[in-house]
Amino acid sequence: MGSDRFLQVENGLFTAVMVLYLAAMVLYFIFLAVKREKAGKAAGYVMAAGFVLHTAALVTRGIGAGRLPLTNQYEFATSFAWGICLCFLIFLWKYRFQALGAFVTPVIFLIIGYAAMQSREVRELMPALRSNWLGIHVSTAIISYGAFGVSFAVSLMFLLRRNMKDSAFWQEHIPDERKLDAISYRAVSLGFLFLTFVIITGAIWAERAWGSYWSWDPKETWSLITWIIYALYLHLRLSRGWKDRSAAIFAVIGFLCVIFTYIGVNTLIPGIHSYA
Amino acid sequence: MDQLKKVWRFLRSMKFAVILLLILAAACTAGSVIPQGQPTAWYTEHYAQQAAGAVMLLGLDDVFHCWWFVALTLFLCLNLLLCSVLRFPALLRRMREGFTPARAIAAWDWAPLAKLEGEPERLFAKLGFHSVRSGKMAVHLPDGNSGAAEGTEADEAETDRVEADGAETDRVETDRLKAAESADGRPVRYAVKYKAGLWGAWLCHLGMLVVIAGFGLGQMFKSEYTVYGVPGQTKPVGDTGYELTIDDFSIALRDDDTVDQYTSEITVTDTAGGEQLGGSASVNAPLSLFGMKFYQNSTGWAATLETWKDGKKLQEDLLCAGEYAAIADLEGLAVVFNAFYPDYAEDESGQPVTLSSALKNPGYLYTIYYHDQVVGMNVLTAGEKITVEDYEFIFRDPQPYTLIQVKRDPFRYLAAAGGLLVLCALILAFYLYPRELWAVQDEDGVWCFGGRSAKAGLLFAEEIGRAWADLKKEEQSDGK
Repeated sequence: MGSDRFLQVENGLFTAVMVLYLAAMVLYFIFLAVKREKAGKAAGYVMAAGFVLHTAALVTRGIGAGRLPLTNQYEFATSFAWGICLCFLIFLWKYRFQALGAFVTPVIFLIIGYAAMQSREVRELMPALRSNWLGIHVSTAIISYGAFGVSFAVSLMFLLRRNMKDSAFWQEHIPDERKLDAISYRAVSLGFLFLTFVIITGAIWAERAWGSYWSWDPKETWSLITWIIYALYLHLRLSRGWKDRSAAIFAVIGFLCVIFTYIGVNTLIPGIHSYA
Repeated sequence: MDQLKKVWRFLRSMKFAVILLLILAAACTAGSVIPQGQPTAWYTEHYAQQAAGAVMLLGLDDVFHCWWFVALTLFLCLNLLLCSVLRFPALLRRMREGFTPARAIAAWDWAPLAKLEGEPERLFAKLGFHSVRSGKMAVHLPDGNSGAAEGTEADEAETDRVEADGAETDRVETDRLKAAESADGRPVRYAVKYKAGLWGAWLCHLGMLVVIAGFGLGQMFKSEYTVYGVPGQTKPVGDTGYELTIDDFSIALRDDDTVDQYTSEITVTDTAGGEQLGGSASVNAPLSLFGMKFYQNSTGWAATLETWKDGKKLQEDLLCAGEYAAIADLEGLAVVFNAFYPDYAEDESGQPVTLSSALKNPGYLYTIYYHDQVVGMNVLTAGEKITVEDYEFIFRDPQPYTLIQVKRDPFRYLAAAGGLLVLCALILAFYLYPRELWAVQDEDGVWCFGGRSAKAGLLFAEEIGRAWADLKKEEQSDGK
């Protein structure tokens, strides 16, 4: 099968993935709005199916492009959505509450929708991007951003939890505020660890490619700002007054920084990362 | 004196660190949004007068090197240093004395997270606790169950305070311990794992200090030079005492004419000792020689400029785009080779452009100066010549030149070590943090389990509950 054929298959898979994520989002909304448990379970299966097809789409694109599919806006956006889906499924499996999906799937759908608007053209890599560090650097960014996406969803859930009427359904399907706070903390911990890894691998790669491990390039600077925001979240959680609601607000701000680092910096601020 | 104490307390406080981080984040935001390193005129042209004035006054045109940004970073280092030094004894004490069954059980609210008959070691093993200490302790188990989650949340808050202030926690625990140490003799099992994780946050702060120190020292002591030229040229590497010879320079193209790789073959000579070392440098693969790193940084076009007068060649200069040649025959006369267009054409507005990167129709943009006055400026194509009074100029033999960046930063390894330390410390802090598990046997011979962890105590309590449920299921299925 030629590379064009692989890319055609990837195109089809990507469309199927979008449909599945949309379906999962609708099912999760039904689960929460109509309180139908079966809809929640079905949404979980649809998400898992979407994730499998999404993985297949990324692998197919990688084969079609002859390299890791992590080098342009489309590829990173779809990988970013995949990362959030992966982290969501891990957290779903570990903490077992389906309602998280109602808050995560809109984020995934928005990001994959952004991917759909980008050019899917496969271009050869410029020499600076032809490095083994590309795979390490960007794949850790996907995990980091994915975990931050989950913490964003959990924190939103936390902030809305207080406004929900405390019915038996909510009690059964949505953890209490203390547990939501703890889960958000776990997600931020994972994201923060990987973001640190992203910054370090990026610095090593930059040192090899550009001769300077830190140049205050806008992308580097915004990664640092995001790192500082989450470092503040982690420190402020130690203060009694900042736990819970304030921490949740900080986690939301942190994810907005992540989104700006990814989309805003690339589109609004020129720099040496402008190809990303 | 009180004022001094207040300042001292503030300098080492988390509050100060948070304020510094917030200001640094804001400064970084400004530094990324406002173009850096532009001349003053650029800001007055692009911003309102007051905004441009504020940019220049606050040093926002070069945020990352201005005095207040450096001062904030130094204050952050001071805060990290003080925090690390002052927390060290408390952490050491907690490491040595903090993990004991007496302390853990004394701080327990007596709410069992699991209950087990028979050997309690089964649950310890299931949760990955392998060195289980056994003994007897004076404890009294109340009848009521005050709720597992409350107990672990209290533990979490307590261990969180260790991060903030170890001394306070120790005092609280000691008070409870006295209450627990009245005589009795109940069988107890206790285990702790990942004690080293207690140092996670501390090591992370230390790692950050090392990173900042490595970066700062690197900024002060690193040396950086650029050498550019065409194959065959030898040029000095700044004032290092070394010379760099460009043996070859190649640009590998793909089928679609895009660049696959730039490679320079170079030889470096120690002018003092005569020692020579060489190799190839390409993008993403720098060359290390004589303690320096040679990076394939950039490329451009060079050409030979011939200067003629009365049918006689006066001089020949090899110029890279951007360079100039002073004409020795007439003081004040100079030719600047501004730019090169390998596939020259003009766009709709008459501006010079290149249609491709292939060398099809070379065009040389030049400017001629005589005593700083422009006396000629145009684009010269192949076969054309420039005539100024008695002088004629010809550009020929365009060829790509290579630009090699030479760097020496002895402190980059320090920054790398700091980064690695931060990463390891975060793993300790987030995943390998201390967890304690204990079991106390009640009057009916049932083992009541308690546990606490330095982070996410609520989730650890759930983990214990899940392991307990799994264990029961396994034993039930084994029994069948």
